[in-house]
Amino acid sequence: MNEAIIKMENVKKSYGELEVLKGITLELGRGEVVAIIGPSGSGKSTLLRCLNRLEVVNGGSISIENNYLVKDGEYASAVESRKICGKMGMVFQQFNLFPHMTVLENLLEAPLVVKKQSREEIMPIALELLAKVGLDDKANAYPNQLSGGQQQRVAIARALAMSPDIMLFDEPTSSLDPELTGEVLKTMRNLADGNMTMVVVTHEMGFAREVAKKVIFMSDGIVQEQGTPDAIFDNPKNERLQIFLQSILR
Amino acid sequence: MDEILRMMVPLLEGCRITVALFAVTLCLSIPFGLLLALARISDIKPLNMAVEFYNWIMRGTPLMLQLLFVYFALPAFGIRLPDVTSALLAFVLNYAAYFAEIFRAGIQSIPKGQYEAAKTLGFTYVQTMRRIIVPQMIKRVLPPIGNETITLVKDTSLVYVLAMNDLLRAARTIVQREFDMTPFFIAACFYLVMTFGVTRVFNWLEKHYARYEE
Repeated sequence: MNEAIIKMENVKKSYGELEVLKGITLELGRGEVVAIIGPSGSGKSTLLRCLNRLEVVNGGSISIENNYLVKDGEYASAVESRKICGKMGMVFQQFNLFPHMTVLENLLEAPLVVKKQSREEIMPIALELLAKVGLDDKANAYPNQLSGGQQQRVAIARALAMSPDIMLFDEPTSSLDPELTGEVLKTMRNLADGNMTMVVVTHEMGFAREVAKKVIFMSDGIVQEQGTPDAIFDNPKNERLQIFLQSILR
Repeated sequence: MDEILRMMVPLLEGCRITVALFAVTLCLSIPFGLLLALARISDIKPLNMAVEFYNWIMRGTPLMLQLLFVYFALPAFGIRLPDVTSALLAFVLNYAAYFAEIFRAGIQSIPKGQYEAAKTLGFTYVQTMRRIIVPQMIKRVLPPIGNETITLVKDTSLVYVLAMNDLLRAARTIVQREFDMTPFFIAACFYLVMTFGVTRVFNWLEKHYARYEE
């Protein structure tokens, strides 16, 4: 494995009585594409959301590029953690585009407001990203005028406009019609070919198998098994994983 | 005809006062209402409770009483304000409370995903509010804000109790002096024209915001 870019150590998260993450320890390498799979309620989305502080952990440590976001349950300062989380882009199941802005404005907004980049500086980058996701003709459309697949590709471009080192995907194709998942997966595949570090919570076993370098199987708030796609899918050791694979591959 | 033209002078003068009260109240109570709404939803508990209490008082007592209070009771505490200022103060304080509740509901109706998207892009809370949440909120609250604004046009007539010569009082003065009901009809026409104008402005705004859907 390359140098670890994300380290999690004994990360715990509960909602009241319900323990969702029961001590997760993981290391993810730079340039790796990691797929997190598992049944619903296994804590995989929560794990992803803990990485960029959308969820606050109850204990453990998370470090991103050797900077502690949280160390033994103690978070870095607001400024510091914003800086750390700024290295990560996120793509949501529900896209979450800004509906009052055009596609292009969605891409420009964060670089302009957060990074204080100039319009001249960011415009060519934004247009290039739109071309990369195949939506340069939709620059002036509003999100509601696009299909779900197109919206999700805009969401990916929007996250990329902040030039992140890591991209987090939270079930990016789960709310798409089946015929639209392909275009989004293709965009993600291109991103993976460009050596982006990606953590993908997904139900797309095909994608996990073909694109991921590492697959993590979660169930009941713990990592039950992790390994290469071949090891996970062809030679599962963990009993829960075997049951899970049987139920989805049937 | 001459009769009517003669009446027009005081009525138009009254109109001027009515429009001025309306415009200044609107321009001040909307930003103040937005501040109250943001305070109401902020993480600072005492601030929430203070605003909640404020809104309760302002929405829970008659506007007429508030006008009389500012005009007659404040001087008893040694606070003396010019007539127009007293009226404006009462209107702004009252309307800001109504606007605050509308804005709060509008802000809280914006899905959580918008905050999360903004957060993962590095926006601060203030940037999120200013660039993402409040602009979307405006579209959603236009209909209730339009309602309140039309009500405000007519509520300005309450200042007649403060002996200010607004449109209604000007009309009533002529009616009482000359036993001629015409001024009431003219005043009604003026109010209708004003509310029609407000309606048109809000229709235009709604159309403008219809360029995007959620």
